[in-house]
Amino acid sequence: MITIPILALFICFNTIPLIRGVIYSFTNFKGFGKYDWVGFRNYIDLFSDARVGKSYWFTFKLAIVTTVVVNILSLLLALALNSSIKAKSFFRGAYFLPNILGALVVGYIFNYFFTYILPALADMIGIDALRSSILSNPDAAWIGVMIVCAWQAIAMNTIIYISGLQTVPEDVYEAGGLDGATGWKQFKYLTFPLIIPFFSINMVLCVKNFLMVFDQIMALTKGGPAQSTESISYLIYNNGMSGGQFGFQSANAVVFFIVIVAVSVAQMKFSGKKEEQL
Amino acid sequence: MLRRKVKYLGAAICSVAAMTVVGGCGNSADSGKTEIEIVQYKPEAANYFSVVEEEFNATHDDIHLTISSPNDAMTILKTRFIREDYPDIIGIGGDINYSYFVDAEILEDISDYEGLKNINQGYLDIDEALKFVPVEGTYAVPYVANAAGILYNRDMFAEHGWEIPTTWDELLTLCDTIQGEGILPFYFGFKDTWTCLAPWNAMAVDLAPADASKQVNRGETTFAKEYREVSEKYLELLPYGPDDPFAYGYNDACTAFARGESAMYPIGSYAAPQILSVNPDLNLDSFVMPANDAADGNTLNSGIDLQFCVMAGCKNKEAVYEVLDFLYEDENIQKYIDAQTAIPCKEGNFELPSILDGMTEYIASGNMTDYQDHYYPSEMAVDAQIQTFLLNKDVDAFLQKFDTDWLRYNRDIIRLVQDYAKEHGDAN
Amino acid sequence: MTIKKTNKAAMIVLILGLSTIILPLYMTIVIAFKQPSEMTNSIGGILSLPKSFSLSNFREAMEVTDFWRSLSNSIIITVATVVLCIAIHSLMGYALGRNKAHSKFYGFVYLFIVSGMFVPFAILMMPLAKQTAELGLANWFGVILLYVVFYMPMNVLLYSGYLVNIPMALEEAAKVDGASTWRTYWKIIFPIMKPMHATVAVLTALAVWNDVMTPLVIMAGSGQNTLPLAQLNFQSQFGTNYNLAFASYLLSLIPILIFYIVCQKQILNGVVNGAVK
Repeated sequence: MITIPILALFICFNTIPLIRGVIYSFTNFKGFGKYDWVGFRNYIDLFSDARVGKSYWFTFKLAIVTTVVVNILSLLLALALNSSIKAKSFFRGAYFLPNILGALVVGYIFNYFFTYILPALADMIGIDALRSSILSNPDAAWIGVMIVCAWQAIAMNTIIYISGLQTVPEDVYEAGGLDGATGWKQFKYLTFPLIIPFFSINMVLCVKNFLMVFDQIMALTKGGPAQSTESISYLIYNNGMSGGQFGFQSANAVVFFIVIVAVSVAQMKFSGKKEEQL
Repeated sequence: MLRRKVKYLGAAICSVAAMTVVGGCGNSADSGKTEIEIVQYKPEAANYFSVVEEEFNATHDDIHLTISSPNDAMTILKTRFIREDYPDIIGIGGDINYSYFVDAEILEDISDYEGLKNINQGYLDIDEALKFVPVEGTYAVPYVANAAGILYNRDMFAEHGWEIPTTWDELLTLCDTIQGEGILPFYFGFKDTWTCLAPWNAMAVDLAPADASKQVNRGETTFAKEYREVSEKYLELLPYGPDDPFAYGYNDACTAFARGESAMYPIGSYAAPQILSVNPDLNLDSFVMPANDAADGNTLNSGIDLQFCVMAGCKNKEAVYEVLDFLYEDENIQKYIDAQTAIPCKEGNFELPSILDGMTEYIASGNMTDYQDHYYPSEMAVDAQIQTFLLNKDVDAFLQKFDTDWLRYNRDIIRLVQDYAKEHGDAN
Repeated sequence: MTIKKTNKAAMIVLILGLSTIILPLYMTIVIAFKQPSEMTNSIGGILSLPKSFSLSNFREAMEVTDFWRSLSNSIIITVATVVLCIAIHSLMGYALGRNKAHSKFYGFVYLFIVSGMFVPFAILMMPLAKQTAELGLANWFGVILLYVVFYMPMNVLLYSGYLVNIPMALEEAAKVDGASTWRTYWKIIFPIMKPMHATVAVLTALAVWNDVMTPLVIMAGSGQNTLPLAQLNFQSQFGTNYNLAFASYLLSLIPILIFYIVCQKQILNGVVNGAVK
C-alpha cells in the first residue's frame, strides 16, 4: 500500500515530464517562443541524419568495450580489497578518489596526460603510434574516452561488488576449503555464483551509464575531433539545450529511451535466466 | 488507468504544495523600490558588473539593481523563459540567439530609448542585419564589440625586424621568414573546435560577401561558391602551425603563445586576458587578418560581443532606461573595455586597449564586418565541420556538406525568408 | 574465523593500480598551489612543485564561491536526499522485490520504475523547469524532491537485488510470531540491509554532491548556490583559472571523502551484524 504515494511522486516528476517531452518531439520548438506542429518530421529526419547515426555507433562501441573492461577490473579490485590486506581503508579510500574528482579536474588532467605525457613517454620508449595525442586522432579518440570512463567508473562498481562479497558467508569458504577449492576454482564455483545478482546489477548499470555518457565527453573532447566522439546524450543536450533543436532532439531522446530500455530489459531477462540456472 | 493516474497526481501535487512555503518572487519589493534584474552572459566580466551593481545601488534610492553573470547563461535564460520568469534586461551577444529571440517576439521594442542616438550606427546596422526578416523596431542596444585577427608578440617582431603584412602573399612570405629563423609562426588550439572559427571568420570577412548566409537563404548563391577561397587559403596556414594542432586546446595555445613558443596566434581580442594571465609582461599587439590579395580588400572582423535587450512586457520601462543610462556612461564603458580588452559601441573619446593598436585604423574608419558565424545555427556545429575539414583537407566534400547541412538546419528560417519575400515582393 | 594472513598478490595489484590515482591527484594538488604565471606546457613544468605553498588560492577560491554558504546548501541537499532515499527507496525496493515475482501489478510497477533510469535528463529538463515553477518548487526543496525521484530507479534495483540473498525464512518466522508486515520490515529487514544502505548512501550522496545540471536548471535565479554551481564561475570559454578551480575542487572533495570512509566501515561491518543464518 505504501507504494502508491511513492509511485505517484515518481509519476509526477518523471513520467509526466517525459510525456511532455514526447509532445515537444512533434514540434519545431526551440526551447522558447512560439512553435509549430511538424508531425513526424523530426522522426523521419532522425533516421536520415548521418550525425545521429554516427553518434549511435560511437556510443554503443564505447558502452560495450567499457562495460567489459570496467567489470573485469572492478571485480578483481573488489576481490583484492576484500581479501586480507594491510591498510584496507586507505586503499578503499584511494580507489574511490577518481569518482569524486570533478569533471573539470579529470578533463584537464587527462587532456594533459594524453597531449603531453603519453606522447613523451612513447617517444622515449619508441612507440611511433603513440607519438601524437590519441585525442587528436578521429580513429583513436574513443579509446581515450574509454580509458577515462573506466578510470572513473571502476570505483562505483567496486563498491557494489564489495557489498555483494559481504553477503557471501564465511562458512561457504570454510566448507569449500575442505573440498580443496582455492584460487580460481573457489572464485568460479563458490564466490561468483553467489554474487551473480550484483554482477547483473553492475552490468545493467554500466551499460546504462556508458550509453548515457555525457560528462566525460564534455570534459575531454566536446565531441571532437571531427565529431568522432559525439555521444547520443551529448548530441541531445548540446543541440537541444544550447542549440535551437529542442523539438528534434526530444525525438532523438524518445527513440534513445526506447532503445536503451530494450537493451536493458534484454539484459535483465538474460541474467535472470542465468540466476535461475545456478 | 489514466484517470487514476490523474487522481494520484492531484494528491501528490496537493501534498507537495502544502509542504512548500513560497517559491515565487515578485517585482513588489518590500521597500517600495523598483526591482530591476539583469542577467548577462559573460561570466568573465562578473567582477566589473558587480562593481557597477554596487555603484548603481549606492546612487539610486528608488531602484534596486541586481546583475547576475552566471556561467552557461544561455541554458539558464532558456529554462527561465520556459517558466515565464523573465529578467528585465538580458545581456547577450549579437549572434543567432539574438535573431531567434527577435523572431520569437520575446524582446521589447526600445526604439524610443534616447541612448540609442549615441551608439555607433555601424553596430546598429549589424543588429538590423541579424534579424531573419525585417522587423519594425529596435530590440537591442550594443554595448561593446570584439575583434578577431592575428595577435602577435610585439617584442619578437621588433627584435627580428618583421613587418606587419597587409596582403595574403605578404603574410605567407612573413611566415616563411619566421619559420626560416627557427620560430613557429602560428599556434593553433584546434582541439577546442570553436577556435577553428577564429581564423575562418577573420578570413571570410575579407573574401566572402558580408551577407553570404542571407544570400544563401534567399537561394541566390551557394557556400560552395562563396567559401571556396576561404577554405583553400585556410589550408595554406596549417603548415605554419604546430605539428599536431588538434592535440592542443585553447588554453594550451594561449599558454604556448604567452610563453613565446610562437610569434603569432590567430584569435580574437577576447583571448588577451587569458594570455596575459600566464605572462603579464608579454608585449601584445594585433593586426587585421590580411586574407585578401589586395590590401584595400581587407576588413576588420568585428561583431557585437555584448548588447542589452529589454524583455517583452517589461513594466518598468522608465527604470530600465535609467539603468541603461548608467551602464552606458562613458566612465563605465571605459572601465569595461580596459578590463576585457573590448571595443566600445558607443561613440565618443574612448581610450582603446593597447593590444588593439594594430587595428585602430580600421576601427576609426569603420571598416569592419560582422563575424560570419553569427549567422550559423549552433546545432549545425560549423566549428566541428571546419575541424573535420582541417583534418582531412577535402575542400569539395566540406563545402558540399556545408551546403546540404545548411538547408537542413535552416529550413524553418529559409521558409520564413521566402514567405516574407512572397508577401513583400522583391522590394528588399 | 580463519586466521587472516596478508594476501601478497592482492597487495601488489593494489599498489600498482594506485599509481594511476596518485599521479592525477598529485597534479591536482600541485596545480592548486600554483599561480597562473607558473603554468607551462612542458612535462617538467607541470610536475614541478609550486614556488611556495601559500594558501592564497584556497582563500580566494573560498571567497569566490561563497564557500561556507554554498557548502551548507550542498550539505543540506545531500543529507536530506540521502536520508529520504534510504527510507523511501528501501521500502519501495522491499515491497517490489518481495512481490514482483507473484504479482502482475508489482511486476509492472517494478519495471516501470526501473525503466525510469533510462530517461535522458535532457528531455526532462525543460518540462521539469516549467513544472517545478508552476508548483512553486523552484528552490532547494524541489531539487531534493527531484533527486529522490531520479535515484529511485537505481536504488530500487539495488535494494531488490540485495533482497534475493536474504532468506524468506526470517520474515516467515516473524509472521508466525504475529508481527505485522510493517513491523517485520522495520525490525528485521531494514537492519539486515545495512551494507546496502551504506552503498546506496555513498552512491546517492556522490551523485548529488557533484551534480550541476539539476540545481542549475531548477534553482537558477533563486540566488542560492550549491558548491558545483559556484565552481562553474571558474570556467568560461575564453579563459579558465585552473589554479583557483583546482583549489576549490580539493576543498569540496574533503567532506564527501570523509563521508565515504565512514560508510565504508558500515559496508564492512554489515557481515558481522547481519547474522544471516
